[in-house]
Amino acid sequence: MNVIREDRFHRTLLVRRLTRLTGLSIGALMLISLGYWRVQVAEGAHYRQLADNNRLRKLTIEAPRGWIYDRNGRPLAENIPNYALSIDRGLARDLDATFAFASTLLGVPAEELERRFAARRSGPGFAPVIIAQDLDLTTVARAGVEQLEHPEIGVEIAHRRLYRQAHQTAHLLGYLGEVSQADLNREPQSYQPGDLIGKKGIEKIFDHRLRGEDGARVAVVDSHGRFIEEFDHHPARPGEALTLALDLDLQQTAAELLEDKVGAIVAMDPWNGEILAMASAPSFDPNRFVGRLDPETWRALLDHPQNPLQNRSQQNRYPPASVFKIVMAVAAIESGLDPNETVYCRGYSVIYNHRYRCGNAAGHGRLDLRGAIKHSCNVYFHQLGQRLDIELIARYARRFGLGRVTGLELDSEQAGVVPDSRWSLEARGTPWYPGETISVATGQGPILLTPLQMARLMAALVNGGDLITPRLVRTDEPAVRERPEPALRDSTLAMVREALWAVVNEPNGTGGRARIADFEIAGKTGTAQVVRQATWTSNEKLAPDQRDHAWFASFAPFDSPRLVVVVFVEHGGTGSRAAAPLARAMYETYLARQNQDAPQAPAVGG
Amino acid sequence: MRRLGNIHWGPLLAALALAVIGLATVSSASSETGTDYLPRQALWIGVGLIALLIVVAIDYHALLDLAPIFYAGSIALLVAVLLIAREIGGARSWFGIGSLGGQPSEIAKLATILMLARYLTRVRRPHLDFGHLVVAGIITAIPVGLVVLQNDLGSAAMFGPMVAAMLLVGGLRLKHILIGLLVVSIFAVGYWATGARSHQVQRIVSFLKPDKDPLGAGYQVRQSKIAVGSGQWVGRGYGQGTQSQLRFLPARHTDFVVAVLAEEWGFLGVLGVLGLYGVFLTSTAQVAARSRDRAGILLLAGLLGLFSFHVLYNTAMVVGLLPMTGIPLPFLSYGGSFMLVNFLITGLVLNVDYRRYVNR
Repeated sequence: MNVIREDRFHRTLLVRRLTRLTGLSIGALMLISLGYWRVQVAEGAHYRQLADNNRLRKLTIEAPRGWIYDRNGRPLAENIPNYALSIDRGLARDLDATFAFASTLLGVPAEELERRFAARRSGPGFAPVIIAQDLDLTTVARAGVEQLEHPEIGVEIAHRRLYRQAHQTAHLLGYLGEVSQADLNREPQSYQPGDLIGKKGIEKIFDHRLRGEDGARVAVVDSHGRFIEEFDHHPARPGEALTLALDLDLQQTAAELLEDKVGAIVAMDPWNGEILAMASAPSFDPNRFVGRLDPETWRALLDHPQNPLQNRSQQNRYPPASVFKIVMAVAAIESGLDPNETVYCRGYSVIYNHRYRCGNAAGHGRLDLRGAIKHSCNVYFHQLGQRLDIELIARYARRFGLGRVTGLELDSEQAGVVPDSRWSLEARGTPWYPGETISVATGQGPILLTPLQMARLMAALVNGGDLITPRLVRTDEPAVRERPEPALRDSTLAMVREALWAVVNEPNGTGGRARIADFEIAGKTGTAQVVRQATWTSNEKLAPDQRDHAWFASFAPFDSPRLVVVVFVEHGGTGSRAAAPLARAMYETYLARQNQDAPQAPAVGG
Repeated sequence: MRRLGNIHWGPLLAALALAVIGLATVSSASSETGTDYLPRQALWIGVGLIALLIVVAIDYHALLDLAPIFYAGSIALLVAVLLIAREIGGARSWFGIGSLGGQPSEIAKLATILMLARYLTRVRRPHLDFGHLVVAGIITAIPVGLVVLQNDLGSAAMFGPMVAAMLLVGGLRLKHILIGLLVVSIFAVGYWATGARSHQVQRIVSFLKPDKDPLGAGYQVRQSKIAVGSGQWVGRGYGQGTQSQLRFLPARHTDFVVAVLAEEWGFLGVLGVLGLYGVFLTSTAQVAARSRDRAGILLLAGLLGLFSFHVLYNTAMVVGLLPMTGIPLPFLSYGGSFMLVNFLITGLVLNVDYRRYVNR
């Protein structure tokens, strides 16, 4: 029994070996602590982030987009509930099976769903990814039935933008679309992949005000994705509502008047620049753009010969034709020419060995400035074109805001062209020919403007010469007005306004078709030639795309003008036939609106 | 007890400190599981301390005298386990003793240490001969074979470092070391090529590429590293570890308890715990250095091998330095019989120290 006691044989040797072994263990322990140092200290921040992502699940609370109203509080753009299908990666066991199931549910190829999923998943979050919107109730029900089998598939109620007036307000309001990669790169803080943002019009320009700020509910979850507690909750900040200056009645009238036509109508308050109506035809239905635009619709819009996406009121430029005689008349009087001086019209004039035609081939006879405006006599203005040089004409054209954008809150506005000799050299590389001044005097030739600029011009004529920045959104801020050089005398403007009254209200005026009893409208017709004079016979005999453009620029009531209406009809024919009646319809709606608002008020005009 | 003051308190203090830290960590790790493991863990610490006192009271020479009986008894237990034990978790090692449970393979390790110490003490040479190795190999192979038959390869592997430590201290020749390594590698390769169970292959693969399949086999490695790493310098605070509290971390109160500690106490906490293990190991080595005979040194060698391998493997595995396997961490991991074994080890260390003077 005692044989193993007190046996000290090679004891020191054994102790040394054991000590060495222990030393090895201690060394290993130190190496291991280095391993912990690496993971905890060197890479600690990385793992801390992973841990936070592990346990926090962020659910975005969609901020309702602000509604858009007309000036009387009628909704133009609103939100309606919409069912969307989402996939929650955290709950998905087999994504391929998920896509296959969703594909049968939606009738969309699985590859397409995968593509959408890949495009919209964002960063490290675990938020469900929406792969389809506008579900019908049958699909919603079917998705609900399969909830047990596919817990990763969810139905979410989102908001869908509805433009109740559809194509009637399309160019103003614009539409929403999925945020592009370029937008994301530009403003990574503002947008998430898959967000709908304003792509055009008011929706685009005022996107930041309308969209508000999405809220988030951050939940602590366990490894099974089960809710443990709420970690953070910031409610969504709803988007601001916008009230437009637009009067829906006027807007709808304008849109209806342009139905089946190509053109634009602008109605504007000459004192504060508020746009009461702005219609462009042809138009499109912006509701088709919300969510996912099908490629055929998009293609059809792009290939449409009349380009319905274009807002003709401010994105297209046209020769002003005879409406430009307003600027010519102001320039003539301000330059000291006598408005009572007469010119004899025999139906054409020959200047610089070139024959220029008047609208009336039989001739107007002897006319002063007022008569020339009333009858829109070209011969009279050919004379003015001979006497006023192009630089002076251009100066007055710019004085009325032509050649530069108006500053309306819409994108892609065109500035138009005010030609002069410098422009000719820079843009065309040729000198200005005096004969061109004769054309410009009647609003033909290279001079170009937008219907919106035309409305601004009319507003300046009415309000004492101020250029007003037009605006779509109602605000309490004062109107932006400027009074550029050269100063215009009130008497000059009054004289031209009176001539415009005669255009509509005197017998044989070109604007007679705009006349309304008991409401004095003043205006100027314009007929822009599309084909060369030599081939022109009459609008009825020409092919539709070769007919003249029709203008009518007007204001009313004459005594105390409240409204400017500009009508432009592309290839419509003459201004007096194709445009003036449309302006009259606009004023009728305006009057109906006035009477409706204030039935007790005394009758306007006289 | 005049000489009690001369006892080396290092192992006992380190053990008690670690047990208390383990108690707190297990409690934190299990606070979300519905079962609070703290009372049971505390109970086992109490049982362990009583066992420690009993072990200290009996002269280790007497224990070595009784080694063949312990050895035979533990082998009988292992056989009994094989015959009657229930299937639990794919390994038949849990022996149903009341509600507390017990693991005969743990007992078998200690019995094997005693048996080998007893045998090697009698070898009065600076180095072991081939014949001695054969005998030692047979002593080891019987319990190891029985444990392997239970499908508990983790426990069987634990015999390796423990026996290796004793043989190294007893005096291994270089050629025998090389032959041993060769044999082990041949067995390992053969096992890999033929009989490898898929879950073991998975563990190796997931160790080599933990991010390949973060929700599959690599899940534990990844979650464990996230837990450890997120602790950074000072940790999230006690009970604040999100990995642990939110159940991302598997086996967090048993094999991965140090991950919980790392998450909640940070690198400094880990250093503290590793330091305590260092204290345990070095003070045990000091006890060996002043022990009075071969028997004591060889006994301590086996205990150190068993203990330190658990510490090193477990802490390295948790931080992703070694493939995962079910090796608990002494004093910290929850588990009754394992806690008991660690206190028995501590008791044996103190036992050797207490009897370093002749005439006791």
